[in-house]
Amino acid sequence: MAEARAEIVANVWKLLTHEGAEVRERDVLAVLETMKMEIPVHAPAAGRVSSVPVAEGQIVQEGDVIAVVD
Amino acid sequence: MTSRIDETTSPAVGDVITDAPDHCHVLEQRRDDRFARVEPRGRRRHTARERAELLLDPGTFVEISPLRTAGASGSGVVIGWGSVDGHPVVVASHDAAVASGAIGAVFAETVQRAQRIAIDRGCPIVYVNDSGGARIHDGIHALHGCGGIFALNVEASRTIPQISLILGPCAGAAAYSPALTDWTIMVREQGQMFLTGPEIVKAATGEDATAEEIGGSGMHTRTSGVAHLEVDSEEEALDAARRLLSFLPSNVAAPQRVTAAVPADPAAVARLPHVVPDKSSIVFDMHEVLDGVLDAGERFEISPDHAPSVLTLLGRVDGRPVAVVANQPQARGGILDAKASVKISRFVEWAARFGLPVLTFVDVPGFLPGTVEEARGVITQGATMLRAYAEAESPVLTVVVRKAFGGAYIAMGAKSLGADFTWAWSGSEIAVMGPGGAVALLHRRALQASEDPDALRDELAADYREQVARPYLAAEAGILDDVIHADETRGRLVDALRLLAPGPVA
Repeated sequence: MAEARAEIVANVWKLLTHEGAEVRERDVLAVLETMKMEIPVHAPAAGRVSSVPVAEGQIVQEGDVIAVVD
Repeated sequence: MTSRIDETTSPAVGDVITDAPDHCHVLEQRRDDRFARVEPRGRRRHTARERAELLLDPGTFVEISPLRTAGASGSGVVIGWGSVDGHPVVVASHDAAVASGAIGAVFAETVQRAQRIAIDRGCPIVYVNDSGGARIHDGIHALHGCGGIFALNVEASRTIPQISLILGPCAGAAAYSPALTDWTIMVREQGQMFLTGPEIVKAATGEDATAEEIGGSGMHTRTSGVAHLEVDSEEEALDAARRLLSFLPSNVAAPQRVTAAVPADPAAVARLPHVVPDKSSIVFDMHEVLDGVLDAGERFEISPDHAPSVLTLLGRVDGRPVAVVANQPQARGGILDAKASVKISRFVEWAARFGLPVLTFVDVPGFLPGTVEEARGVITQGATMLRAYAEAESPVLTVVVRKAFGGAYIAMGAKSLGADFTWAWSGSEIAVMGPGGAVALLHRRALQASEDPDALRDELAADYREQVARPYLAAEAGILDDVIHADETRGRLVDALRLLAPGPVA
């Protein structure tokens, strides 16, 4: 199991994945928006997305889980 | 097998002397007794003496007081000198085979001897650390000795480079001394730094944690920032120390290590005008900018994994060693925060002390605001950046490549803090805040009253970008020295360094 986490406090601007999706390592799973910058969240490993515990528009803190890849 | 002392300079050492007088045999026996105690243990690959030899140019290591003892054992540390790329370097290498490298009174006195020689001769010192900390049996004498090492660390930091390698578990004083030196390099899964190891932690607080969790290289090079580079082996650590030294003068008064100029990588130069995305919110890799500007060849990045929204690295321009500071948009948008501020200020203060020109490449959205950063003391940490640039006496050259807003504009080596020359790329923006935030503040009522606030916001932001944030205003006011094309950057830096760098103009 590998977790993709927010590297900075931000607004979840775009979610680009969903539960059950197959992803490759470094795929962009979400784009966060903070300080007028678009911060991509990459898949930490290849696998299947088992959980996406955030929604678009939600504020996340540094370290919050954006998606879990099994 | 250890080559104890280089054969070319000391041909008799280690040889069997059959027809020599008895006293020669006695000396050989003493040396054999001393060297027999230094077999590497655990994950270690080399003895303390071999580490010193591998650090230095082949055959140049000269050991000081190899027969020194502390009671029944050796002093626990191998000291001596030799050269790196032909320049004198002093080394102190802990011998973990003697009481786990514990720092007793004699050990401390021996390290201090090495430190004193390095300070007095004005040459770098490399500490090869592999020590469990103060030797309990030596009581107050051990603590007194450790304090003496610290005091000389501080004295040395005023004039000579000090590099620490962590090649085993280093507790207490063996962790504090590296923290007083310039840069610390750790070997993955072999070197640790902590106040105390797992047993004492368990006894003191009840916390269960492994040595790696308390003080492993991953934690220290990513989270704490206590160490500055993580490598995979002893050989890599020793090589990293040599590469780092290749950028540094022997002391603060010595000449810079200027080499033949090497042009920037032609492919990177060709890409340079296209590296920065048109849309200011899209991230890019600042290394691509640096590749198109700096001399092709060796770089030495400090703390690549800690506070990665900023880069601190050594490179060359026109053959001259330079200290490069840059935002890295690819990591956390290139923002400044408390940790990034400490990373930059420590690097700038150090580089300026050794006369290295400080080159700053700016693309900063600002200081990260909010409760977490304020509680971390971002104001105090950010102020250390202002102090470091304002105090820097070496040449300071600053290039805004895309955007520079607010206090972060000032902190990234602005003209007002004493930068010698500042330039901005033609597409860049410099303002008190970015267009989005400024428009929201300045036109709040108009936006509230608008039927299509998004369209109005975009229109007002475009106006702001053109009328307030363009770099020409700064250039007209003399706050920027010029607005330039991306591919003019290297030429401007080369010309400025020829003017500003110590020594005759080429």
